[in-house]
Amino acid sequence: MSEALPPQDVARLPARYDVEHETLYDYAAAVSQSWQLARLRPRHLAWQKVLSYALQIDPPVDERHETRDAFGNDSLHFALHCAHRTLRVRMNCSVEIDARDVVPALLGQAWERVRDQVLADPSHDDLNAARMCEPTRLVPLSEQARAYAQRFFSPGRDWLDAVLAMMHAIHADFEFEPGATTVSTSVDEVLAQRSGVCQDFAHLMLAGLRSLGLPARYVSGYLLTDPPPGQPRLAGVDATHAWVAAYAPGLGWVEFDPTNDQLADQRYITLAWGCDFADVVPLRGVILGGGEQQMEVRVSVVPV
Amino acid sequence: MPLLKKLLSDYAAHSGRYDELLVAPQQPRPHWQAFISAMATRNVPEIGDTLSMMEREIRDNGITYNVYADGQGSDRLWEVDPLPMLLPEAEWQAIESGVAQRAELLNRVLADIYGKQDLMRCGAIPPAVIFGHAGFLHAAQGIRPSGGVHLFHYAADLARAPDGKWWVVSDRTQAPSGAGYALENRLVVSSVFAQLFRDLNVRHLASYFATLRDSILRLSPRGDGSPLIALLTPGPYNETYFEHALLARYLGFTLVEGHDLTVRDGRVWMKTVDGLQRVHAILRRQDDDYCDPLELRTDSALGIPGLTDCARRGTVFLANALGAGVLESGALLGYLPALSERLLGEELRLPSVATWWLGEPAALEDAWEQLDHILIKPLERSAREPAVFGHALSASEREALRRRVELRPQRYVAQEWVRVSQAPVIEREQRDRLAARTVGLRVFAVATPQGYQVMAGGLTRVAADGNSYSITMQRGGRSKDTWVLSHTPVNTSFSLLGRTITPNDLVSARANLPSRTAENLFWYGRYGERCESTARLLRVAIAQSLDRDDAPAVPQLDRTGTSLPALELARRQGLLGASDADPGALVLACTDPNSGLGAQFQQLARVAFNLRERMSQDNWRTLNRLHTDPLFAHAVDTQVQAGSVLAGLDRIIITMMTLSGFVLDGMTRGLGWRFLSLGRRIERLMHVCTALQVGIGADGTHSLDWLLELADSTLTYRSRYLAAPEWLAVLDLLVRDDTNPRSVAFQVKGLREYVAKLEATHGRFASDLLNPVQALLDALTPADLTPQSPALTQLLGQAQRAGHAAADELTLKFFTHSAARSVLSLVA
Repeated sequence: MSEALPPQDVARLPARYDVEHETLYDYAAAVSQSWQLARLRPRHLAWQKVLSYALQIDPPVDERHETRDAFGNDSLHFALHCAHRTLRVRMNCSVEIDARDVVPALLGQAWERVRDQVLADPSHDDLNAARMCEPTRLVPLSEQARAYAQRFFSPGRDWLDAVLAMMHAIHADFEFEPGATTVSTSVDEVLAQRSGVCQDFAHLMLAGLRSLGLPARYVSGYLLTDPPPGQPRLAGVDATHAWVAAYAPGLGWVEFDPTNDQLADQRYITLAWGCDFADVVPLRGVILGGGEQQMEVRVSVVPV
Repeated sequence: MPLLKKLLSDYAAHSGRYDELLVAPQQPRPHWQAFISAMATRNVPEIGDTLSMMEREIRDNGITYNVYADGQGSDRLWEVDPLPMLLPEAEWQAIESGVAQRAELLNRVLADIYGKQDLMRCGAIPPAVIFGHAGFLHAAQGIRPSGGVHLFHYAADLARAPDGKWWVVSDRTQAPSGAGYALENRLVVSSVFAQLFRDLNVRHLASYFATLRDSILRLSPRGDGSPLIALLTPGPYNETYFEHALLARYLGFTLVEGHDLTVRDGRVWMKTVDGLQRVHAILRRQDDDYCDPLELRTDSALGIPGLTDCARRGTVFLANALGAGVLESGALLGYLPALSERLLGEELRLPSVATWWLGEPAALEDAWEQLDHILIKPLERSAREPAVFGHALSASEREALRRRVELRPQRYVAQEWVRVSQAPVIEREQRDRLAARTVGLRVFAVATPQGYQVMAGGLTRVAADGNSYSITMQRGGRSKDTWVLSHTPVNTSFSLLGRTITPNDLVSARANLPSRTAENLFWYGRYGERCESTARLLRVAIAQSLDRDDAPAVPQLDRTGTSLPALELARRQGLLGASDADPGALVLACTDPNSGLGAQFQQLARVAFNLRERMSQDNWRTLNRLHTDPLFAHAVDTQVQAGSVLAGLDRIIITMMTLSGFVLDGMTRGLGWRFLSLGRRIERLMHVCTALQVGIGADGTHSLDWLLELADSTLTYRSRYLAAPEWLAVLDLLVRDDTNPRSVAFQVKGLREYVAKLEATHGRFASDLLNPVQALLDALTPADLTPQSPALTQLLGQAQRAGHAAADELTLKFFTHSAARSVLSLVA
């Protein structure tokens, strides 16, 4: 895994990727009703253009309704009312990623000033910074997370310096171990067992930053499946990846990937963001019937 | 007036508090004088009678409040103090206009929070107060409810300070409870003081409920038939379920649980035995984050997947809107005066108790200095973290509190500790005097096109003891009716039901049987029948096995080595163990509340509990009597005398007959009745077939009296035959005679009739199962009426199988969608 920071000297030309994200459910018994909520359409961003997008659902849906959620993510509600044994949801898209603004080595402001500015003036990023300071169900207040974060945020330390230090530390202190946790593993449990997956590291980082009054949000998306020759394969490529965006006045949102210990760059494709994982789950649903179910997710990201 | 003196003798007006009754020692306030004089003309025993009468009425009405805290989730009777809280009209008008204004203000705040969010952007409300409150739902952002009404109904908790002014202590915006209890208090108390109630021109409550009903109808979307309004309850285990049922019945709304509703085509539907019925509005008593597992709490098994999106699309009106609970945050109180100026251009008429959000550093500093005069509580009402009164804390407790709060001061508010007013109550133990208790007033408001209308009265809540600071229902406490005394006679001709029923309502009252209710009715029929036949069987078995020469004694299970048929049947029915030879076992099957008859009553009670809103008061009272019958009080005492057990069984059987009478005479022959009757007939068919199988299988030495007794047919038999029972006549009566309500033929005939009626509207499902049984019955000749007849054996077996199968088909056809459960999946 990459240790170098800031990262790669990939050509700063727009990068193009084809993304395929397929979810397949296999039910032991027939499902009579199914309501699903998909957040599978990549966002339009200053550095990210969605060139094409298609969502295929099989069996065909009986109804669908598109909305945009409070965080600006496109959401698709769909439902099936006929008995089915399998459900396949396949997203194909083609995106173009530009180079992002260069992140300086230092912000030039102490972290306390970031905290106080956001508190004093809620209009930062049109209220979106203030929205990202609060505990949530998946990232509740945690004294342990606060204690963990406190080490990097000594009084007066530069905000960016401190957040980077926290990112390095999470990468160094925690083992990336698929299967070590589930969607319901708490931040405190992750802190105790010192292992987890990208979602856990993102939640831990959010818990720490927010406990200090610093705005930070959960970002979900994809990483390049196979790295260019000579570069290591990154962790978190087999499904959706998760990382953290932290906010500082003047700099805006800076995206940190504690799983790979690097800032997000042209290899990161942004799907959705929110307060925590629950806000960005690519596919969540409620079904009637079905019995035992098997679920398979395949993600591929290919440069073109 | 000596009684007046006596009444008041112990009534200690607490110094430093406002007293609702007395203006000076021994001297009632002017608006109390008429009431107190009337009280004083009564004598002490009369007051005792009044109390007993009220207690009886409350018990009979089954008015309860489920208490979470006591583990069993059991019901606690609602406690009402007979003395109403009296408020003169002039004082009331100030409360009324203050609460109406506040509701309007809160609604505008909600519209902004879930709309443009200007108030947070410009700093009028610190974002942390909103975003940091668990009641804020990101998913509700952008939802614009019909008429802009986020806050359809609202309740304010008021308290009176020592200077006589009313202050708002907290706001209830999520799903305000208590309006139904206020109504029930009114019914009980106004009947106790009927004359006074008229003489004092007490303002009525009914118009509030009529307004609520009209208003929700007006705000509901149209389409797919006449408007259907559902009252969504978390279920019978909720602490205020009684109120949900009461309000649903009073307002004519359909009481539903989450599983009764489903989302299709972007609309909400109720699952009924007639298929899906569009739901236009939902008065929800379920907390909003449990309302939709798809978008809100994923761990909610109670919710309706897709409901949020329906609200977003405006296809259903939710009262209150999702996310309205965010305003219950005490942190908002301090900002309301400025918000009122800003949004309404008016001064806030009804002030809040001084409250500081500790997210403001200055407020946090002050809090520690003022700790003796404040209480500190979290933003979200929580049983785990109750309000803490600073003055009551030790030094170390203060330190612990400080550590906890400073970890996240934004989560807490400090509130001035107000010495709340007190009012007189009558204590059960001391009926001849009045005691002073802390009181608080909950006032209700509902949105109308002309602004908010406030219920003229409200729920006065009484603290558990004289010096209490806080009043909560969850931890016990009583309530009072609240009388607003008008100077002019009130219009008494008004009645909710009289005014708003339209021909449309007449139709809808008959439709809309939720599948879950139909299923419960079916099982109520089955369990009711099961309990009765079990009681009869046990009575026969005990009587039969009693050694009458040696009376009174415990019953013997075996006599001369051969098992009695009734005991054999009891074994088959699982009432006795296969090899139970312990004489106590039979008694235990009668008296143990957790096995045998007792267990069956528990099943009946559980189903009845779920049908509570459909039972008449008399019916419910009768059920309660069963539940509390002394027969089950002996628990596991096997030495209970057989005589007293028999007497108990007699009592139970008579009560069960009374319950059957309610069904027979009290229920309209609608769909619900049909499901209940199907349950009864199927159960009875199974039972009589099993009894006959045991009977014809037994050796011939036993008399047949037990079989007749079991089937309640002894009298009929004697009047027809004047001879000892013989197989031919007994089998004719119990199998072939379709005029005997206990016979096989009677059950089959009834089942076919009910099934045919259902099939006429809902398609075939069970007649093919029942027709062959009828054919066998028709083919039965008098020669077949012997225990040895293969035709008889075949008939009994076939009838039983058909009963089972018909129950299965019924379940499949009408109840399955109520049984299916949601499975949730989250995918990375």
